[in-house]
Amino acid sequence: MLLGACAPAAQAPTAAPAATQAPAPTTAPAPTVEPTVAPGGPLPRNETLYFNGQQWGSVVCWNPYSSSCNNAMAIAQQDNSRVLMFETPYLYDMLDGKSYPLLADGPYAWNDAHTDITFKLKKAAHWSDGTPVTADDVAYTWATNIKYNTSQGANFGAFIDSVTAVDPQTVDVKAKLDSNGQVVNPLEVVAWLDTDYVIQKAWTQKLEARTGGDATKLMADTADDVVYSGPYHKFFADDTKVVLVRDDNYWGQDASMFGKLPIPKYLAHEIYKDNASGTAALQAGEVDVSQQFNSNVQELWQAPLNLPISTYLPDAPYGIGASIPTAYYNMASYGLDQVAVRKAIAMAVDYDTIIANAMTNQSATFEQVPRSLMNPTAGEQALYDSSDPSIKALQWAGKDIDGAKKLLDDAGIKAGPDGWRYYNGKKLTYVATCPNGWSDWQAAIEQVAAAGKAIGIDITTNYPDWSVYQTVITNWPLPTTGYDIFMMYNDGAGPAEPWSRTNKLLNSRYAKTKNNWNGDWGGYVNPAVDALINAIPAETDPAKIKADYTAITKIYLTDVPSFSLMYRPQSFHTVNEIVWTGYPHQGDGTNPPVPPLDLMDGWSVAGLYNLKLVNP
Amino acid sequence: MKEYLKYFLNKLLWFLITFIFAFILNFILPRLMPGDPVAGIVARMAQGMTNTTGVQAIYQQYTQLFGTNKPILEQFFIYVRNVFHGNFGFSFSQYPRTVADVIRSSVWWTVCLQFPAIIVGWIIGNALGALAAYLKGGYDKVLLPISIFVSNLPTFGMAIILLVIFGVDLKWFPTSGGYGFDLIPSLSWKFMWSVIVHYQLPFWSIVLIAIGGQAIGMRSMSIYELNADYVKYSRFMGIKDRKIVGYVFRNAMLPQVTGLALSIGTMVSGALVAEIIFSYPGLGTTLLNAITGGDYPLISAITLIITLMVLMAMFLIEIIYGFIDPRIKATQSE
Repeated sequence: MLLGACAPAAQAPTAAPAATQAPAPTTAPAPTVEPTVAPGGPLPRNETLYFNGQQWGSVVCWNPYSSSCNNAMAIAQQDNSRVLMFETPYLYDMLDGKSYPLLADGPYAWNDAHTDITFKLKKAAHWSDGTPVTADDVAYTWATNIKYNTSQGANFGAFIDSVTAVDPQTVDVKAKLDSNGQVVNPLEVVAWLDTDYVIQKAWTQKLEARTGGDATKLMADTADDVVYSGPYHKFFADDTKVVLVRDDNYWGQDASMFGKLPIPKYLAHEIYKDNASGTAALQAGEVDVSQQFNSNVQELWQAPLNLPISTYLPDAPYGIGASIPTAYYNMASYGLDQVAVRKAIAMAVDYDTIIANAMTNQSATFEQVPRSLMNPTAGEQALYDSSDPSIKALQWAGKDIDGAKKLLDDAGIKAGPDGWRYYNGKKLTYVATCPNGWSDWQAAIEQVAAAGKAIGIDITTNYPDWSVYQTVITNWPLPTTGYDIFMMYNDGAGPAEPWSRTNKLLNSRYAKTKNNWNGDWGGYVNPAVDALINAIPAETDPAKIKADYTAITKIYLTDVPSFSLMYRPQSFHTVNEIVWTGYPHQGDGTNPPVPPLDLMDGWSVAGLYNLKLVNP
Repeated sequence: MKEYLKYFLNKLLWFLITFIFAFILNFILPRLMPGDPVAGIVARMAQGMTNTTGVQAIYQQYTQLFGTNKPILEQFFIYVRNVFHGNFGFSFSQYPRTVADVIRSSVWWTVCLQFPAIIVGWIIGNALGALAAYLKGGYDKVLLPISIFVSNLPTFGMAIILLVIFGVDLKWFPTSGGYGFDLIPSLSWKFMWSVIVHYQLPFWSIVLIAIGGQAIGMRSMSIYELNADYVKYSRFMGIKDRKIVGYVFRNAMLPQVTGLALSIGTMVSGALVAEIIFSYPGLGTTLLNAITGGDYPLISAITLIITLMVLMAMFLIEIIYGFIDPRIKATQSE
């Protein structure tokens, strides 16, 4: 049976992607054609799409088994994996919450026992050396990830038992079972389909042979000779830029996939040292697709600049929020074990100012998208009952100083003669913190401190370096001072969301542990929440799933172990139509909808096939 | 000659002692910084991961790989052994790149930007300072305040002024990069010209600041020397002005030469501000990123190069001083 019948709506697969334009005839596999740039000549502007905001340092390697290549244009195995050079079986589309086949042929299916997923591979799919992509490649990639304990193996090894080739075109993914014979986590098994690259077996064996089976050497190999299946590969990289060139024999031009080649011949990314340089280049027409934060982005297309620059949405918040930067309370700090204190601070924060100053309005407000555990995408919002009056009563939009004061007064946490509030005779004094230099977070933390002062709680700010900050918060117990209220990121949009985000925000399996890079850094423990979170992945009834998320949201908004400060897009997406047009915009008519993810992550790669030259 | 050998050996001994202490500090100081560099790497990798055990396994893998789980003394001896074999190991922040590779790829950008800028700033600044002291009058009255103003401008201020005026408004020069955003390096004239054009704003943002500082220093030293007794005595003796000026500027130059040597010695640390504002490649941002990322091997290697260059520059200056100013040799070898 199809997964669509037994998983939350956000993970429902779709039969096949709809090509946005007429398919072109299939070309036979052949060796890669060399690029045509003349020595010393410039990249042709009308064949090159320029990016910024992805690559912030030199590319280190091209090895898809490594997690430290710093190769942002080619390698990112995540919820919306980057599929320019290496490809996944499926592509996730954050706009409709569905997965569409890439290397896979048609939707995947669970077996009747709900322990195995089977999917087929497209017959047209082939590697850059012309050989076909087979189920054996998929199985060998998995085996290699496990054998050498790569990041992908280390993560998904807890949820997937084996990946085997049933026949050259059919892959069987066997989920790991718990002691009760139930699948440990079906959502993570499904997420693997959109996340993990398929890497050629023959090349992997070559890599193993030259690294002698040593895991460290295997992952440290620069892999300049890597074989790939994606539409682009390395053309040039140095300390100042990275350029990919299209493989004109890319299999995806087959009618079974996109039906044609992606439009730009070259994808280039200059390495800018900061956002200001990147914005200047965008203004100068040297960048077409900007994934960085451009402060006051609307000024780029308003007078006096009047540049042909736009964002996914024409007005604020300009993009689709996906992740939710969050302030955590250290439950061990004096007084923060009191719900009234936690909620009062959260109610008093001026979120509109945070959104206006820190995000220059590139975030939905909490009036527009009331707070919950969900990001603003329609798929996630539909997963909890936002019309439930008991939920509405718990949601706050901020700057409610009187309400916060009343809450504290009612809890007996009253102001002393000095104006500060005391709990059991001890003054409430906290430090709110985030990493130094993360300017939008710092602006948010300043508002948290201001909110505290407004209601009589003495909150000061401190901004350590990231290297110190993350070392401290990932190792419980947190210091007795300095980390009472602290910010961390959480998951954006993906096939395992909002479960994964909820799990990391609230599941006590992460609480009070060392080397914890997952979540619940404040030490919140609530067995009732744990039970709900642990039950959701195996749920198949959409109504039950919605009821569970609604219940967790109620507890979250009641207990306030942490609180959201803003919404951030999965990727900033500002485009310059000085050379190219046809970028993803709201209501652009694409079906499936192409998400604003830089034309390279998940289903957003489909946007590369819709581009047109402004002046052909 | 015997006196000079004693002076030389004395300087060499101090050079070696300083180097040993600097070498030890180069290793220890980065490791005294708070924070766990491996945690930073794992934090990047763990985004989106759910499996706690898997994340911790990655952490263990990297601590073992980088040796950060070993006692610091053991780490030190491994470091010494490797350095003496010319091996600075892997960069933590750019793994699997080696430290040597990271430095090799960016050091030439830094040297080519910094060295000419230091030399040009030094020559122009000293010439202007000397002229101001000698000509006095209106020239001095104009040059001094301008020099004070320019030399007190923060480097980022000068860089931003040049960027806005010549890059953004007048569009005479590009605003970022080491060469054209649409070019691939080659030995073509087009590429070379692009490098030259991109070079201008970062170069002048360093030179203009340097000119002001050098001019002020040279002017002060020259005025001091021009009023020295030996100048007055020479004039009474009827020695020609041109000859006297030669003596004056040779003496006034001595502290300026020391400053030049130090500048050249430290140039490898990079022109951080110019690199950031103009997105210019180089070691400055590499070092900054290494420090913020706790990349001990990269920090130690770069600071060791800087230490060696400064020590060698100072050693050479001391040796040359022994020749050009006998008073120094006489005092030091007593």
